[in-house]
Amino acid sequence: MNDRPVRLIVDDDRRRSRLTVFFRLFLAIPHFVWLGLWTFALVFTATAQWFVTVARARPADPLQSFHVAYIRYATHVWAYVALAANPFPGFLGGPGYPIDVELDAAEQQPRLTAAFRFLLALPALFFLALLNGGGSGGSFGGSFAISGGVVLTAAFLGWFACLARGEMPHGLRNVAAYGLRYTAETYAYLLLVTQTYPTTDPTLPASAGPTPEHPVALEVNDDRRRSRLTTFFRLFLTVPHMVWLLLWGIAVVFAVIGQWFFALATGRPAAPLHRFLAAYIRYQTHVGAFLFMVANPFPGFTGQPGYPIDVYIEPPNRQSRWVTFFRFFLGLPAFILNGALNALLLACGIGGWFAALAMGRMPEGLRNAGAYVLRYNAQVNAYGTLVTGRYPFSGPPTLEPVETTWAEPLPAPVDAPA
Amino acid sequence: MRRPEHVLAALVLIAGATLGARALWPTKVPDDLKLPPLDERAVFDPAQLREAQHFETFLHWNSLASMVVVLIVLGLYAWRGHRLARESAAGRIGTGMLLGMLGLGILWITQIPFGLVELWWARRYGAADDVGYLEWLLTYWLSLGGEFGFICLALVIVMGFAQVLRGRWWVAGAPAFVALYVLFSYTYPWLVPADRPMRDPALLSAAREFAREQGTEPIPVRVEEVSAYTDSPNAFAAGMDSSRKVFIWDTLLDGRFADDEVRMVLAHEIAHHSREHIWKGVGWYAIFAVPGTFLIALATRRRGSLREAQAVPVALFVFVALSMAAQPLFNVLGRRMESEADWVALETTEDPDGALHLFVHFTEFALADPSPPAWASALFDTHPSMLDRIRMAEAWRARSKGHSHP
Repeated sequence: MNDRPVRLIVDDDRRRSRLTVFFRLFLAIPHFVWLGLWTFALVFTATAQWFVTVARARPADPLQSFHVAYIRYATHVWAYVALAANPFPGFLGGPGYPIDVELDAAEQQPRLTAAFRFLLALPALFFLALLNGGGSGGSFGGSFAISGGVVLTAAFLGWFACLARGEMPHGLRNVAAYGLRYTAETYAYLLLVTQTYPTTDPTLPASAGPTPEHPVALEVNDDRRRSRLTTFFRLFLTVPHMVWLLLWGIAVVFAVIGQWFFALATGRPAAPLHRFLAAYIRYQTHVGAFLFMVANPFPGFTGQPGYPIDVYIEPPNRQSRWVTFFRFFLGLPAFILNGALNALLLACGIGGWFAALAMGRMPEGLRNAGAYVLRYNAQVNAYGTLVTGRYPFSGPPTLEPVETTWAEPLPAPVDAPA
Repeated sequence: MRRPEHVLAALVLIAGATLGARALWPTKVPDDLKLPPLDERAVFDPAQLREAQHFETFLHWNSLASMVVVLIVLGLYAWRGHRLARESAAGRIGTGMLLGMLGLGILWITQIPFGLVELWWARRYGAADDVGYLEWLLTYWLSLGGEFGFICLALVIVMGFAQVLRGRWWVAGAPAFVALYVLFSYTYPWLVPADRPMRDPALLSAAREFAREQGTEPIPVRVEEVSAYTDSPNAFAAGMDSSRKVFIWDTLLDGRFADDEVRMVLAHEIAHHSREHIWKGVGWYAIFAVPGTFLIALATRRRGSLREAQAVPVALFVFVALSMAAQPLFNVLGRRMESEADWVALETTEDPDGALHLFVHFTEFALADPSPPAWASALFDTHPSMLDRIRMAEAWRARSKGHSHP
C-alpha cells in the first residue's frame, strides 16, 4: 500500500478522553462549519481545475495545493468524528495529526480520463457511500431498515467503548482508518490530485498495529482468475447452496442450543458439536466467497477444508462460563457491525461481477475487501455459535512491519594507510 | 446381472408397459365416432383465418429453429462441457450439479433471441401488448432460478443412486422421478400464483352440477389473475384427490365469453378430474420414465455413468433429445385426453352451440390456427385443433339427434 499516491499515516495510541468523546459531535461543530466553507469553495476550484486539466493535461499547482490541504483537513475532521483519533484537529490540514494522509500530486494527467473523471469515479463514490454511510433507508417486508455504513457503525459502537474503557478498540479504530484512507483516495481521484483509481483493498499500513492472533483465521489461496461463464450465472448457481445452508442452518440452531448447555456445564464446548459447527462456518464462508466473487470454484457441500478462501478453526478450548451465559448480548455489537460490513460484501460482489465478466479476473482490491468481510463474518459466527470464546476482531488486515536488518559491521582495516 | 436375467427383466418391463398402456389408452369418446367434414371458411371469418394462420406459421418455424439450436448446443456441451468441471471445488455430486446448471444456463442464453423474436411477433399482432421486452427478459431470467433448483434436485437423486448402484441407478431413479411427479402434481394447486376463489354463484352452481353429473365429488373452482400479463383465455385442471382444483384465467371472465362458453370450459376441466387424467398422466410418465432413464444410463456409461460428474453433460443432451423425440407421442396422448374431456363436457352440458362459439372465440382471441399443418400439430399441439374440436361438437349433435354422418 505504501507505493500508492495516497498513503495513510497512523500514529494513534488509541487512548481517548472520555469527556471529549462524550461531546464529540458537538465539539466538531466548528469544524463542520469550516469544512462546509472549504467545500463550498471547492465547487469552484474543482470546476476550474477540471477545465485547466482537460485543456493542458496538467493541473494548476495552486489549486492542487488547495485540494491536497482540503483532503488532509477533511481526513483529520472525520478521524476526529469517527473516533479514529483523539486530539481536536487544527483548521488548516497541517501535518502531525495522528490519523493523516500523505499525497503525491500528479503533474501530468491524461486528458481523456480527466474529462470523464466524475463518471469514472461513480463506482468509487458508490462504494464510499456504503463504507462511510450515507444513511440510506428503505422499507422491506413491512419493516423499516437503515443502513448506516461501516465507518458510521464503527464510530457508533466505538463511542460506547471509549466511554466505558477510555480507549478505542483496535479493530474499530482500524475500520475507521480504512474508511478514511478510501475517502482520501476517492477525493484525490475526483479532484484530479492523482490519476490513480482508489483501491478498495482494506490492507492498512503496519503502523495501524498488527492483526491479533485469532482462533478463526482466513486462508486466501485464490489466484483471482474467474470463469466468465460461472460468473454470469453466479447468483443462480448458488441456489442449491442456499437451500442446503438453510437446511443445515436448522440443525445448527439445535446444535448451538445443545452446545450452550454443554459449555455452561463443563466450561468447554463438546468436540463433536464443535466439529459440526466449524464445518458449517467453513461452508458458509465458501458459499459467501463463491456468491460474492471472492473465489472462483463451485464449492462443495460439506465444508471440507481446501477451498481457495478457507477458514482455519482451532480445536475447542476452555471458555468462560460467564461469557458463554451472556454470549448473545455480548455478541450484539459484533452482529451489528457484521450487518454493516455485509453491505460492503454485496458491493464487492456486484463490482466484482462486472469486473470479472469484463476481464476474467477479480480486481485485487475488491477480492481483498470481500475476503476481509468474510473473515469477520466467520469470526462473528464462530463467536455466536460458541465455536470460540474469542471476540471477533473487526479491523482489516495490516501489512507486516518491515524488519530492519543491520548490516554486519565492516572489519576494521588491517593496515591503516599512513 | 447375467444376460438371461437382463432379457427377463426387459421382458417383464415391456409386458408391464404394454399392460399399463392398454389400461390407460381407452377413452369415453366412442370408437366409431366419425368427425364430419367441415370447411373452415364456413365457420371462421376468412380474414381472421388468414391472420391466425400467418401468426402461428411464424411461431411454428421459430420454435422449430429453437429446437434445432437446443440440440446443437447441448450436443456441443455433451462433447466439451465436462471440461467445466475444473471450475468446481465440490465433490462428484456437487460438480455434477454445477455442470447441469451450466448446461441449462448456456441453453438459456441461446434461447433468448428466439424468445425475443416470439415476443416481437406476438406484440406485432397485439397478442402481448402488455409485456415489455425488459419485463420479459427479467421474468425469463428469474425463471432460470427455478430451473437450476429443479435440475439440482434431479441430479442429487440420480447421482446419489449412482454412487450406490453405479450403472443401474435407473432401477431406483425411475420410480423416484415418478414419485416426484406425483408429489408435484399433488402440490401444484398451491403453487399457482395470484389466485382467488370463484365468486359467481351461477358458475359455482354449474360446476357442482357438472361434477355430480360426471360422477365425481365437487371440485373447488378458482380464478387465476393473469390479465395484467396477457389477454389470452385459458383454464386448467390441477391436483389429485384432496388437492383437486379447477383454475379459470380471469381473461375468460372479462365479458368477452358468454356464460354458456364459460360453462363449457368448466365442464371440460372437471372432466379432466372425473376421467382421472392427471393420474393417467402419471401412468404414462411412468411408462416412459423407465426406458428413458435406462437409455440415459446406457449413454453415460462411457463417461463412468452418472456416478461421475463428467457424465452430466451427456445425460443432459440425451434427456433433452429423448424428450424431443417423445414429444409427438406425448402430444398424441395429450390430444387424446383433451378430446375425451371435450366429449364428456358435451355429454354434460348438452350444448354443442356453446362449444362451437367457445372454439371460434378461442381462435379469435388466442390467434390459434384452427387447422395447423400436420407436422406442426405433431410437434407442438397438446390439444386437438379448433376445427377438430368443432367437428367433434357437430358429431355429438348429430349423434344426439339419433343419426351420424357417414
